[in-house]
Amino acid sequence: MAEANAPLLSLRGLTRRFGGLTAVDGIDLDLAKGGLVSIIGPNGAGKTTLFNLVTGLDRPDAGEVRFEGQDITGLSPERLAAQGIARTFQLGRVFGNLSVMDNVLIGAHTRLRAVKPAVPVIGPLLELGLALLRPASVKAEEERLRDDVKAIVARFGERLLPRIDQPAYSLSYANRRRVEIARALALKPRLLLLDEPTAGMNPSETAEMQALVAELKTEGLTILLIEHKLEMVMQLSDRVIVMDEGKKIAEGPGEQVRTDPKVIEAYLGHGLSGAAEQENAA
Amino acid sequence: MSNINRRTLVQGSLAMMAGAAFSRSAFADAEPILLGVSGPLTGPNAQYGTQWKQGFDLALDEITAAGGIDGRKLAYQFEDSQSDPRQSVAIAQKFVSDPKIVLELGDFSSPASMAASPIYQRGGLVQFGFTNSHPDFTKGGDFMWSTSVSQADEQPLLARYAVKSLGLKKLAVLHLNTDWGRTSRDYFNNAAKEYGAEIVVTEGYIAEERDFRSTLVRVRDANPDGLVLISYYSDGALIARQARQVGLKQVICAASSVYSPKFLELGGEAVEDVHVGTRYFPEDPRPEVQKFIAGFKKKYNGLEPDAFNAYSYDAMNMAAAVIRIGGTDRRAIRDAFAKVKDVPSVIFGTATFDVATRRVKGAMNAELVVRKGQFALWDGKPT
Amino acid sequence: MSSWLDYTINGLIVGNVYALVAVGLALIFGVSRLINFAQGSIYLVGAYIGWVAVVQLHTPLPLTIILVAVVAALVGLIIERFGLRPLQNSVRIAPLLATIGISFVLDQLVMLTFSPNPRALPSQLPDVRFQVGGGTIGPLDLLIAGVGITSALLLFVFLRYSKLGWAVRAASQDRDAAMQMGVDVNRVNQAVFGIAAALGGVSGMLVGMYYNQIDTAMSLQATLKGVVAEVVGGAGNVPGAVVGSLLLGLVESYGVAVFGTSYRNLFAFLLLVVVLVLRPNGLFASARQAPPEPLTGTFIAPSRPLRIPCWALSAAVAVFAILPLLPVSFYVLQTLINAWLLGMLALSLTLVAGTIGQVSLGHAALLAIGAYTSALLSLTLNLPVGLAIIAGGLMSAALGTILISPSFRLRGHYVSIATLAIGEIVSLVILNWESVTRGPIGISGIPPLSLFGYDLISPASIYWFAFAVMVVLALLQARLLSSHLGRSFRAIRDDDIAARAYGLSLNRYKSLAFIFGGFAAGVSGGIAAHLYSYINHETFNTQQSILALTVVILGGLGNVVGAIVGAVALVGLPEVFRIAAEYRILIYGIVLLLLVRFRPQGLLGTI
Repeated sequence: MAEANAPLLSLRGLTRRFGGLTAVDGIDLDLAKGGLVSIIGPNGAGKTTLFNLVTGLDRPDAGEVRFEGQDITGLSPERLAAQGIARTFQLGRVFGNLSVMDNVLIGAHTRLRAVKPAVPVIGPLLELGLALLRPASVKAEEERLRDDVKAIVARFGERLLPRIDQPAYSLSYANRRRVEIARALALKPRLLLLDEPTAGMNPSETAEMQALVAELKTEGLTILLIEHKLEMVMQLSDRVIVMDEGKKIAEGPGEQVRTDPKVIEAYLGHGLSGAAEQENAA
Repeated sequence: MSNINRRTLVQGSLAMMAGAAFSRSAFADAEPILLGVSGPLTGPNAQYGTQWKQGFDLALDEITAAGGIDGRKLAYQFEDSQSDPRQSVAIAQKFVSDPKIVLELGDFSSPASMAASPIYQRGGLVQFGFTNSHPDFTKGGDFMWSTSVSQADEQPLLARYAVKSLGLKKLAVLHLNTDWGRTSRDYFNNAAKEYGAEIVVTEGYIAEERDFRSTLVRVRDANPDGLVLISYYSDGALIARQARQVGLKQVICAASSVYSPKFLELGGEAVEDVHVGTRYFPEDPRPEVQKFIAGFKKKYNGLEPDAFNAYSYDAMNMAAAVIRIGGTDRRAIRDAFAKVKDVPSVIFGTATFDVATRRVKGAMNAELVVRKGQFALWDGKPT
Repeated sequence: MSSWLDYTINGLIVGNVYALVAVGLALIFGVSRLINFAQGSIYLVGAYIGWVAVVQLHTPLPLTIILVAVVAALVGLIIERFGLRPLQNSVRIAPLLATIGISFVLDQLVMLTFSPNPRALPSQLPDVRFQVGGGTIGPLDLLIAGVGITSALLLFVFLRYSKLGWAVRAASQDRDAAMQMGVDVNRVNQAVFGIAAALGGVSGMLVGMYYNQIDTAMSLQATLKGVVAEVVGGAGNVPGAVVGSLLLGLVESYGVAVFGTSYRNLFAFLLLVVVLVLRPNGLFASARQAPPEPLTGTFIAPSRPLRIPCWALSAAVAVFAILPLLPVSFYVLQTLINAWLLGMLALSLTLVAGTIGQVSLGHAALLAIGAYTSALLSLTLNLPVGLAIIAGGLMSAALGTILISPSFRLRGHYVSIATLAIGEIVSLVILNWESVTRGPIGISGIPPLSLFGYDLISPASIYWFAFAVMVVLALLQARLLSSHLGRSFRAIRDDDIAARAYGLSLNRYKSLAFIFGGFAAGVSGGIAAHLYSYINHETFNTQQSILALTVVILGGLGNVVGAIVGAVALVGLPEVFRIAAEYRILIYGIVLLLLVRFRPQGLLGTI
């Protein structure tokens, strides 16, 4: 077992190449339990690829990922979800034809126990049988999860709650991002990876989102955040990591990183793409 | 798509049309006696349904010209089944529950025909399958009758032609891998062995196959002195062409099902000298054959009839003969099949049912060969 | 030893023929990401135009080729303009279905114009043959090879060096970006369809001359083999399609050499499945790429399904339940029995294709497995029919799931192609495994339906039996869909990557969907076997699979009530409109096209 003060997540020399391009190049990272680390960097710096490597959607060519001290490199996303790692997606990947309720319930999938007995081999068949027969334990579990989902959705106030039975495709862009975050929270994650949660949001929506992330942090949730909006990053992060062309070019507290000449050069060199973009958006 | 059903109302078969067209004829008052036909008019076997109609219509013209049946016209209602069992069962219920239908003809393929058999049997309507060679077809019940030449009869004739007449001793057998082709192959192989030949290779192919080159390499390597084709005309022509193209010069001997002008058209020079065991041939002096061929050419602008035309022509004549004895009562018609004797037939000379098997025995035999692009009676000369 | 040379040459010659179709398919796939099921129909049209030119107009060969190419290109342009362009912003499944509809329409038009009888299409080349190995090749072989290789080369040069070709490649890599860069995507599509159609038409004519035979059934076979060759070579890869075709020809030829002629197609389809499993992007795709964006999400139309109130459904069930007591004919009952049997198959397919998004084109295989299991158990072990049918359902659930599992890791159109191949494999195994299935002779004398010792032979009792079974299966499926499995299946369909990130194992849930769906299909097949009393390998064919998919799309993907409504409609409506006679398949194709155009989400909507 991991020591009490060992980092919850630690990456060592994580590398991923696509053809001639090294998208993620020897990244080291430590994230303590209850901490919030932000990753910033221009577009194409490899941030999302890094998330994919941590959550098992892609496999690294070199390096390792440790979660609670255990090597989880290359495990399938299903297993990582079961270990309590939840993420949101940069471009938004809600289930379009599912209602908000069902979307968020999918987030709670790994918490199903009564209907998914951990029996080898015939487990899936039991799951099918229990889903059809629905004994009291299964019904109770489903009810409990539905109540949970309502509580989570209620955190977004009146934005989502009235639309809880609407299909996700009918929601606004900002609301889809909220559904994604609600879905991630429904997993009761031990590590939450947020990939640009405020993309496409106006200032007041951004402020709401920032308040929510701050609240989650206060509740003790460990968060890895990709974000372009520097104000938010500065206010929320324990530490900031700056990536460029797959490499980590700076790491440290927000203010220190912000004034780092390498960081400024990276952003300027890329035509201020990231920063400029979000200025426009704002 | 396949499970759509439709009815084609053939010339003169619809009561309404008959009423309009023949109101001034001798059949003014009487409703026609109606037969049901279940067969393919669309789908992959559509061509065979078209050939059936040609044979039926010719026979009906002759029957009408001869005064019909007790002053009533004979007509048929053709329902397209696409040779699909799902459609043939629905058609069967339709025919069974339609009191105007006194007898049913068809279907074409075994799955379609035999799926409908239980319904005809229970409904007490004769299912007269005239192309159903599947050995189990008439075992479906005492309402199943067939004039399809039993392969147990036909294949030994072909084997005799190949082995005894042509003197072939090492045979390569290529057959359609359907119930018909498989059954035929087994009867052929047994008979050929009895006549003293050796079967050096057998190859079954599916109906959609077009390329036989690799199959023919297998045939060549087995070193036969003759090729036997248990094929229909289109695939038979393809095999003959490709055999000649790859340089196989052995004698080719084919089952009667290739007997069609299309075989000559599609095969071209490659089918020259191909031997075909058939049930009749153009110069056959038998009056029923001459009447059939002359009538057919006249009705269809000089078109030569083929085997399927002959089957359906015979079937319609047989139906008429049975109804003359049994009347229009369905059970009486069934009983009449056992009574009918020596009906003139292109295929059988005269046809009489064997009550035990509900089939007709004693198909005629003609040994033909393609000479100068025409089917001709084999003159006994080696090729 | 020399035989192996001959088998190799023969394989290459046939592969050469396949390549002509595959190149056209690859070109279209490269730009539109679309498997054009109408390519075989253009091939057919080309063959018949060639016949008109050669036999009636007596044109010389070069003129014949030009004439065929021009007419076929026109057909291609019309298909693009009126069949596919209106669907540009529609769901991804829409153009695929549209090409199926277009192929029905074209095939049927040719059949109505020229009759179904095969025709001879004489070659216009001198009949000289060259000895190669143990066999010979003729000038047509060389011409076909020449046309295949030249067109592949020309296309390669065109794509690489011409301005339009550059636009085509840009559009194929990123359509939106290309549009923003000022590429006229419509013009690109037109060019591609025109070229591909001209090529398809000429190939149909050349192959017709090659065999001296053309008929209306050649379309589907050409499409099937062309698709196999194209996917083996890597969909969208023009040189890959040529190599894939040659490889397919070789595999078939060697298959014949080793196992015999009746195994030929078995090897073709096994090759396809193996390639798809090992290298899902074809043999010539680069090894490892960034995880692709899901095709799902855009594959299923967003829709608000029509909610039918519970009382209305109960009333409908009640009406159909008492129908045999009313004065309706046995024919109506039999038609509805067919509808209920198709309805069970559609329930199964709507679950796997609609709910979990595995668009299967080989679903008839599940019917066949259920039918053979039930028939053989009742015949050889004297198992009571009721139990035998249940056993057939279970066997179909188990075996069907195992057989289809190689397709679980595939996406989008590849699933359809893999399942199509798996369906063909099942049918060919039934044909060849004679010791069990009795091969082409089939199984006859299957006992009639019975329940607790009572034979169900009256149409009314069969009707009630089939209807009751279907209603029970539909209720079970509705219950399944309202459970956590329902939302899990739909989540996997909408976005399998997000689903995995939330702990949903794709193999587990796709298996569960196929187990449940396989049972329903197997039961349908089992009942059919006892109803028909005779089955063989042709009873449950690819056309059944395509019909079932049409039913499911008509009703609305994933929609339980829709599946049944669709089944009743596709069995019943043609009966009502019988006057259409010869034109019914034409009408069917047109209705399919209109449906895709105006209601891609189906009558009752996708769930």
